[in-house]
Amino acid sequence: MKDSFWFPIVFMLIIVLIFTGILSVMYRLSESKIEAYLTETYERRILGTLAQAIADADAGSADDITAAYPESFHKYVQSMEDKGFERKVYRAVVHDSTVAYCFEIGGKGLWGSMRALVSTSTDFRTIYSLAIVDQQETPGLGARIEEEWFLDQFRNRLFVVNPDSSDDVTQKYEFIAEAQSPVNDSQLKRVTGATITSDSVIKMLQDEFNYIYKYYGTKANEKD
Amino acid sequence: MKKTEIFSIAAFKENSIWRQILGICSALAVTNLMMNSLIMGLGVIFSLALSNFTISLIRNWTPRSVRMMVQTLIIASYVIIVDVFLKANLPEISKQLGPYVGLIITNCILMGRAEAFASQNSPIDSLIDGIGAGTGYTLVLLMISFVRELFGFGTIFGFKVLGSWWTNWSIMVMAPSAFFLLAILIWIINTHYYKAKV
Repeated sequence: MKDSFWFPIVFMLIIVLIFTGILSVMYRLSESKIEAYLTETYERRILGTLAQAIADADAGSADDITAAYPESFHKYVQSMEDKGFERKVYRAVVHDSTVAYCFEIGGKGLWGSMRALVSTSTDFRTIYSLAIVDQQETPGLGARIEEEWFLDQFRNRLFVVNPDSSDDVTQKYEFIAEAQSPVNDSQLKRVTGATITSDSVIKMLQDEFNYIYKYYGTKANEKD
Repeated sequence: MKKTEIFSIAAFKENSIWRQILGICSALAVTNLMMNSLIMGLGVIFSLALSNFTISLIRNWTPRSVRMMVQTLIIASYVIIVDVFLKANLPEISKQLGPYVGLIITNCILMGRAEAFASQNSPIDSLIDGIGAGTGYTLVLLMISFVRELFGFGTIFGFKVLGSWWTNWSIMVMAPSAFFLLAILIWIINTHYYKAKV
């Protein structure tokens, strides 16, 4: 029977049905848990980048705002729908007025693409906070761009310094060694052993801010 | 053959990595941290043991012409179960392991044991063989990751064991160190365990 023409086909079909059935049930049972975790992680990061601006405009500290997730997220953060803009945008609203924006941005790292969330002032020129959402860099080297000291360098940094430029609205930066201290605003500390990844973060921010500022910044200026 | 003998042959005497040089891609990729290695190892033990058991269970009905397809399907199913389980219950570790869990499907050890053992032996013996081969694989991963994490990060399973005086060796967290360490491990074992002559 095993050597007949139809037996292998029927056998394979039965095996496929059994195992795909098991996998479907397993996935269906876990799907909500996976989705919930991904959503929570993402929303926590958005809230984290906007927390200081919310705290400055309302009562409490940034830590209180982030600790009060999910209530604080639903209270302060709104998703913006803009079909002409090719990025996800969120805004923090306190007492009916927007206090900050948060953009999901992306770029290329050494080994693959990276995604980040960057919060900006309402004139889109100052970075309030930066958080890496996803990266495929070398653990222990490039992956250290997620460390606080590296990301803190961008906190409250005026990033769009040439708003009238039609070419590049951002500032040129120079990287210095991790152990050194910056002597001026154009110097940033790079991750030791991860020059390309550190450069990639800056390039991602510059490219994205050129896009963001030319889209939203111009609109904001027109309103003014 | 005794059950303990099946286990020790699969885990040590015919260890998939140091004896058969199988499954080394993932062994090199995930060994920068001991926790990643342990979880990866447990994933391989689970997939290997259950795929061996299932393949052995249906071996008398499996037509020879489609046996490889059946084996791959069974292995892939168990690996996807591990992947979904990690994503739902241990999402941080799942994120760190990245695509490597999915790549257990292509791990030569699983197909190797399915063909060499499970398709010719009883389900219980195949289950033990799978656990043994997976344990041997995990053991090698932990040995390599112990050295890489200790010198590369100054930690063991994430706990700081080397003080602030320690300067991390960047080479240990990069892929080349895994090649060096695996080669040294195979050299030591071949020389002392198998008494191999140069």
